[in-house]
Amino acid sequence: MKNLSVAAVRLSRWLLSFAGRGGSLPGQIGLKIDPQILSKIRITGPVVVVTGTNGKTSTANLIADLLQEAGYDVVTNRKGDNLREGIATALLSRTSLSGTVKATAAVLETDELNVKYILPALPVTALVVTNFFRDQLDRAREMEQLIESIEGVLEPFQGTLVLNANDPNVMRLADKAPQASVVTFGVARNQESTRVTGEAAEGKFCPRCSRPLVYDWYQYSHIGRFRCEACGFGTPDTIDVNLEDIDLAAGTFAWNGSTFHNPYEGLYSMYNAAAVLALGKLLGIPAPKAEAVFRHAPQPAGRNETFEADGRRIVLNLVKNPTGANEVMKVIERDPALKQIVIVLNDREQDGRDVSWIYDTHFEKFMNPATQAIWCTGTRSGDMGLRMQYGGWTGPLHMVSDLKEAVHEAAAAGDVIYVVATYTALVPARNAILEEVRK
Amino acid sequence: MKIAWLYHDFMDLYGDKGNIMVLQKRCEDRGIPCQVDKIGIGDETDLCDYDLIFLGGGADKEQLQLIPDLMARRENIRKAMDEGTFALLICGGYQLFGEYYIAADGTKIDGLGFHSYYTDTGKAGARCIGNIVIEAQLDGRTTEIMGFENHGGQTCHVTHPLGKVIKGCGNSFDAGFEGYLDDHMLGTYIHGPLLPKNPDVADFVIVKAMQKRNPSFRLEDLKPLDDSVAQLAREQVRRKLGLTE
Repeated sequence: MKNLSVAAVRLSRWLLSFAGRGGSLPGQIGLKIDPQILSKIRITGPVVVVTGTNGKTSTANLIADLLQEAGYDVVTNRKGDNLREGIATALLSRTSLSGTVKATAAVLETDELNVKYILPALPVTALVVTNFFRDQLDRAREMEQLIESIEGVLEPFQGTLVLNANDPNVMRLADKAPQASVVTFGVARNQESTRVTGEAAEGKFCPRCSRPLVYDWYQYSHIGRFRCEACGFGTPDTIDVNLEDIDLAAGTFAWNGSTFHNPYEGLYSMYNAAAVLALGKLLGIPAPKAEAVFRHAPQPAGRNETFEADGRRIVLNLVKNPTGANEVMKVIERDPALKQIVIVLNDREQDGRDVSWIYDTHFEKFMNPATQAIWCTGTRSGDMGLRMQYGGWTGPLHMVSDLKEAVHEAAAAGDVIYVVATYTALVPARNAILEEVRK
Repeated sequence: MKIAWLYHDFMDLYGDKGNIMVLQKRCEDRGIPCQVDKIGIGDETDLCDYDLIFLGGGADKEQLQLIPDLMARRENIRKAMDEGTFALLICGGYQLFGEYYIAADGTKIDGLGFHSYYTDTGKAGARCIGNIVIEAQLDGRTTEIMGFENHGGQTCHVTHPLGKVIKGCGNSFDAGFEGYLDDHMLGTYIHGPLLPKNPDVADFVIVKAMQKRNPSFRLEDLKPLDDSVAQLAREQVRRKLGLTE
């Protein structure tokens, strides 16, 4: 069945490429023909699986770039999706009919709930885990069940866990992987670190003994330096790759005597860079190669994506869960310019059908005199409007059903416009912005 | 108005804090001073001093941490409710006021036992997830209550449900009814959070709480507020569920 399955994936991928698609359908067909196909193919070279709630796309892309820079021929699901089917599409379309993957390394961004399929099936060298936060709860269930589904496949794992030393939800994985080695990464205390957290926090209790965890400081949400005074679980004293001399204004940090440029904005994205350096250290890739990758990282769509025309500046941001959204709010808050804000809240499957996460997000951060007016649009604009009112916003609040109209009105009202959109609203929002700046 | 927000730090899974924001603002907009006290594990407090007790939902693992503290407050909660303190309970909070609940891993956890309802776990991890609309009678007024439900718990033997399910699951798969309501408490699986989109429920809860100090307080004593954004939000949910013509 193996040959047939590989052939089917390659054929369907080839046919779909004419229709401009590729995503998960070929892999779906391949898995249908042979559900065990992933464990039957041969891969030589490192196989890196990247998972976690936030930052897994950026981190996986940077790692793929790093391996390429180091001379590997990398197969990756960069363009596909991160479920089992998308991963199968990526691997099988580069697999010979005899079952050998024609690449020298694989980097696979993997949805948290799909790790349980991927880890046992492939010869994984490193499992990189960025963080665990409340994500789209109606799809991912409670975070606890999600972590347990990963813990359930760690017992026989003999590769390396690359773990965020500042996230107790991530560090707990090491307890369940007796045969694995562990490499940790983190970011040192800096001017943004705080003594207390006001953000929705997971991991209040020790995952080993259930006693309360104590934090020396927080970076954001529940990410920080933690320890359990009862059983000793905590951020290790020595972190393998710990970024220091954090300069957020310049976007630089230091590790092992060298200075690096953070490829993306914000403290949270430095953790992605730390994960990349940790993986590079594990595979013995020289640090300057990582800096080269950071310097040339393409800016992903909807992450402070800036459009400028006639002295006007429109900034587009994707929000998909409270933690990511809170970081976006901090970026908006830091900009002292007088601004208009457009929020697009949709509730389709990929946005999360449950919109209650907006109450875990600190929209209050932009409710200050620099914000002149707020527009709410999208399939659940009403919920967002209520969030603004109950959050204490008393300035102009416009409820507009048409996204283009909302962007147009905001652009007519001022020179700096922040557009915040959920997943399915991102492309329509960008189109509306492009239409506006091309006028 | 004095509100006791129990275990705010970990019974806040689905933006439940939004309910507190609504109660606070709808009181203040009407000139009713509103004080919210957060009550955590080990905090010494007499709940009889409060007009309203609020308890949200938590993840199974976190919820377990508060059981001993909650049990120690059992007689105090009962006394407060007997004296007219109203309780608003969401999800886990609702379950904990019943006989017992079975956690996802099969463990049986005793509740406060104020009511005969109990909560079993969904078969093979099945959960009731989705938008929900119910029809309820609040002090004789018919209203639609809407929001989002996401619960594995199947609550059975509910003698006084909050309302009849129009769309969604309710207390359990195919239950037909949702939540619990009597003179002392309102328990529900509806979050979203519950109150912003349901101003009728928010005002009903405010009236119930106000009646502790002023038994003759009525809904008519609350100044009407502009709820046009809530109407839009409700319309969007109804449209999504195909409930509009």
